[in-house]
Amino acid sequence: MSTQIILLVLLPFAAGLACYLLRAAFLRSLVVLATAAILTAASVALLSAGPISYSPGPFLGLGWGLIVSVLDFALLGVILFYGFKHGNLLIKIFSVLQMLGLLILELFWVDHSAQVPAFHVDQLSAVMVLIISIVGSLICVFALPYMKEHEEHLHLEASRQPRFFLFLVLFLGAMNGLVMANNILWLYFFFESTTLCSFMLIGHDGTEIAVKNAVRALWMNSAGGLAFVLGMMFTYASVGSLDIQVILASGGAGAGLLVGMGLICLAGFTKAAQVPFQSWLLGAMVAPTPVSALLHSSTMVKAGVYVVLRMAPAYAGSFVSDGVALCGAFTFLACAALAIGQSNGKKILAYSTISNLGLIIACAGINTPAATAAAIFLIIFHAVSKALLFLCVGTIEQRIGSRDIEDMRGLYLRMPQTAWITITGILTMLLPPFGVLMAKWLAIESASGQLVVVTMMALASALTVVYWARWAGTLLAAPGGGRPAPEGLPALIRVPLLALVAGAVLLSVAAPQVYDAVVAPMLPAMPSPIEAFYLYPLFAVLGAGLLLALRAARRSRATAYSAPYMSGANIDMNPDGTWNGPMNQPVGAVAGNYYLPGLFGEERLTTFVNVAAAALIVLMIGGAL
Amino acid sequence: MIKSFIKKSRVKSPWIMHFDCGSCNGCDIEVLACLTPMYDVERFGIVNVGNPKHADILLVTGTVNHRNKKVLKNLYDQMPEPKAVIAIGACGTSGGVFREAYNVVGGVDKVIPVDVYVPGCPAKPEAIIDGVVLGLQKFAEKVEAAEQGA
Amino acid sequence: MITTILLILVGLVLAPLAGGLLAGIDRRLTAWFQSRQGPPIMQAFYDVAKLFGKQPMASNPWLVLCAWVYLVAAALSCVLFFLQGDLLLIFFVQAIGAVFLVMGAMSVPSPYSQVGAQRELIQVLTYEPLLILVFVSLYLATGSFQVSDILAHETPLLLQLPLMFIVLGYALTIKLRKSPFDFSTSHHGHQELVKGVLTEYSGPYLGIIEIAHWYETVLVLGVCALFWSTNVLMMTLLLAVTYMAEIIIDNTMARMTWRWMLKYVWCIGLGLSVVNLIWLYAKI
Repeated sequence: MSTQIILLVLLPFAAGLACYLLRAAFLRSLVVLATAAILTAASVALLSAGPISYSPGPFLGLGWGLIVSVLDFALLGVILFYGFKHGNLLIKIFSVLQMLGLLILELFWVDHSAQVPAFHVDQLSAVMVLIISIVGSLICVFALPYMKEHEEHLHLEASRQPRFFLFLVLFLGAMNGLVMANNILWLYFFFESTTLCSFMLIGHDGTEIAVKNAVRALWMNSAGGLAFVLGMMFTYASVGSLDIQVILASGGAGAGLLVGMGLICLAGFTKAAQVPFQSWLLGAMVAPTPVSALLHSSTMVKAGVYVVLRMAPAYAGSFVSDGVALCGAFTFLACAALAIGQSNGKKILAYSTISNLGLIIACAGINTPAATAAAIFLIIFHAVSKALLFLCVGTIEQRIGSRDIEDMRGLYLRMPQTAWITITGILTMLLPPFGVLMAKWLAIESASGQLVVVTMMALASALTVVYWARWAGTLLAAPGGGRPAPEGLPALIRVPLLALVAGAVLLSVAAPQVYDAVVAPMLPAMPSPIEAFYLYPLFAVLGAGLLLALRAARRSRATAYSAPYMSGANIDMNPDGTWNGPMNQPVGAVAGNYYLPGLFGEERLTTFVNVAAAALIVLMIGGAL
Repeated sequence: MIKSFIKKSRVKSPWIMHFDCGSCNGCDIEVLACLTPMYDVERFGIVNVGNPKHADILLVTGTVNHRNKKVLKNLYDQMPEPKAVIAIGACGTSGGVFREAYNVVGGVDKVIPVDVYVPGCPAKPEAIIDGVVLGLQKFAEKVEAAEQGA
Repeated sequence: MITTILLILVGLVLAPLAGGLLAGIDRRLTAWFQSRQGPPIMQAFYDVAKLFGKQPMASNPWLVLCAWVYLVAAALSCVLFFLQGDLLLIFFVQAIGAVFLVMGAMSVPSPYSQVGAQRELIQVLTYEPLLILVFVSLYLATGSFQVSDILAHETPLLLQLPLMFIVLGYALTIKLRKSPFDFSTSHHGHQELVKGVLTEYSGPYLGIIEIAHWYETVLVLGVCALFWSTNVLMMTLLLAVTYMAEIIIDNTMARMTWRWMLKYVWCIGLGLSVVNLIWLYAKI
């Protein structure tokens, strides 16, 4: 198993470097495809391994602990450099403070002779590795043709793809390391690596707005990093170990540990872009689509929820736990409401991601076995569906030149294949019997003991329906009668899309198996909540119903056509609703969605949401003192 | 059995759509009077719908002119079969006193086929209800003819 | 096994029949309030039978697809209710229908249909949290989301959850498309300018949607019935009083705007829910 672990962490680092050094596009594609295949295989093999601990032997005569410590400072140095380069005071302060904290921890506090296994792989880690390696790899593959076209759009003189793929592939390694790390210092190292990678990727296009947003991402995540360092210090002071397994086992060790956990959760919040830190993830949209897909679905933000979920046993039953649940549920609600006010497709996806992460974090905070199961389910299903949706939006954007959902009106006629894939993706996020909704159901059931949390979840769940259903409907809003034209997607784009859509559906079908294989071993024995899902009957009935409906719809092509109702003013049988206006001139029908800016507009809600969220976080950490 | 129930139901549930082609509103008021408690056409399952796609019977009042003849035609086309058209009032049946006006096409039957003519200026609610009942018979006959033809 | 099949049949066959009959009674009572005679009790069945006899016309195959999915989801949720399944699951299955109804309406560029779809979404937004909170309150009172366990509860839940019943009443009014919350489409034909979200569904497809609506009516009334499930007589009485109150509200209220509804229903509904839930927590 140790080979897999080394492979999963180091191969992406090596492959990233290879991408950077080998300038030929063909070789780069080959490296990315090979890495994707190897990572996928290794992650699948890891799943069957069961809990194992592993420490790599010394490298070139140096202990890995030392190497990681040196790299830690090197990373912080790089971040500090960018702080100076962009003249951002916050980044400078946060990285210097982190260095100080780390210095104290490394030089004066930590007993370096204690043996701490560097990696520990249990079910949760294995699941995360699986998601990162498979979904992340698919995104990397998708990025190959996407970046080619992207650079053609930009008319670059020299390709910047080598640098792009360096960080894109490296990111996967950092994430794999993060979810498998057992030494909390190592966890911190990988945590910071993802910060740096995301900074590089967000700023990749080098435009003014890209740099501005990248810097914002960097300072927010550095703030998270600082919280992490402080959290480590508190934790070490009260537990006296860097071993995460030991920390988890020492639950209820007192206020010091709880404050530490609260701070580490805060670091997780910044990484998961929970309110009030949501702005960096929204800003990350300026990056090329594969980056947003990677940040939102499988990597960066999942690192945040992973940390919160990983530490959950350490703060179970405490005030911090309730605080985490509250913060998560509030994010779930606030971002679902903000998503309603948006017409920018990527922004809707971004808010929906944050909102779903909020739900996962709320589940971690509720901290019962059923809630944990719901959280893991959500991580799995959300990663697949959201990656799919991001790639869909990217594909659509390259074709129609816009990411506004109003411009996607009637996309079905222009891009039938992408449209139905997108709609399926949306439905997998929204409706039973698909996994995300099943997890949401489990979450609501397990939250019903907490009044405020469950009320927020109920509201958020309704808001979620609105923005998804509206989007799916908009894609369909096509004038009838016409046959859609075939769209001819490149294979490297079509294959990841089809793989993800098939994955999203099939994973939901296999939810009981997923539960048994992945979730059950992590939890104390409890009756599988899936039993209550009636999953197969549901799938059977709904599937049969869908087939019936499809058959009826197909037949209806032969039935009489009726023009859209335009009070009879329509011109002939015109399918697009053009009507006979003043002076007998044709007037096109224009429809638009309700975005309710007066209720859910960003300008209206953001300030309030940020203040409320900050108050909740203060409550969460302050309550532990 | 289902077929005969559907046949029976057709007569029991005529949904009417009322289109004012340019009436003086006299006939319109009488049409709406049918819905009031005084006449209560809902007794016969008649519902006044606002959408040709749901309607069985099109009630047209007023003279047809060049501007709204397209609208009348469109509404008629959007009604699914079986359907019936009832022209109401002097204007609807023949163009009435406006018959010779330069902008007037004439009665409803110049644009779409009419099944029942209800005369009057304005037509009385009783006459309109009578017209609807007659219209129902007509389209029952039409359906039968179509079925035998098929 | 036989009971299961019987229950499925009840949910699948008797429920829509009851729903249709109820629609007829509703129209009859409404007419009575307006000093009219009103249509026969069986009118709803005549209407639907007639609709199935009409020529199928659609401006879009999606409409057909969505109408069918709506029916399947509504029927399935109703059957799950009679099988005494999990309330939240039943509700989410029902939401499939709501989403598809909206998607179908949005697929046609008619402005009436479009606006109707948006308003329908706002209605969903308004009643969904209320229903979830009602289910949560049932869970807190009985310890289970399963209808079977809730039915096994020994005391009438209405006594414990009086405010939640009012909250459910709001959701019921919206779900039954009654004034003042009937702005995506009204269940009264003559009350509509066009037909909102249903504008583009015609002929047999409208018939399908009508049947789906019967299923949903029975489902929501079924949830109401859970509030006095210990005694059949009282349950019937409760349902009768509730439905009568709905008709009176429908006949005495004007249609309001969606803004008003969203704000008013959320404030009142959430307020009542929170108060009632706090009582329950206090007892636990």
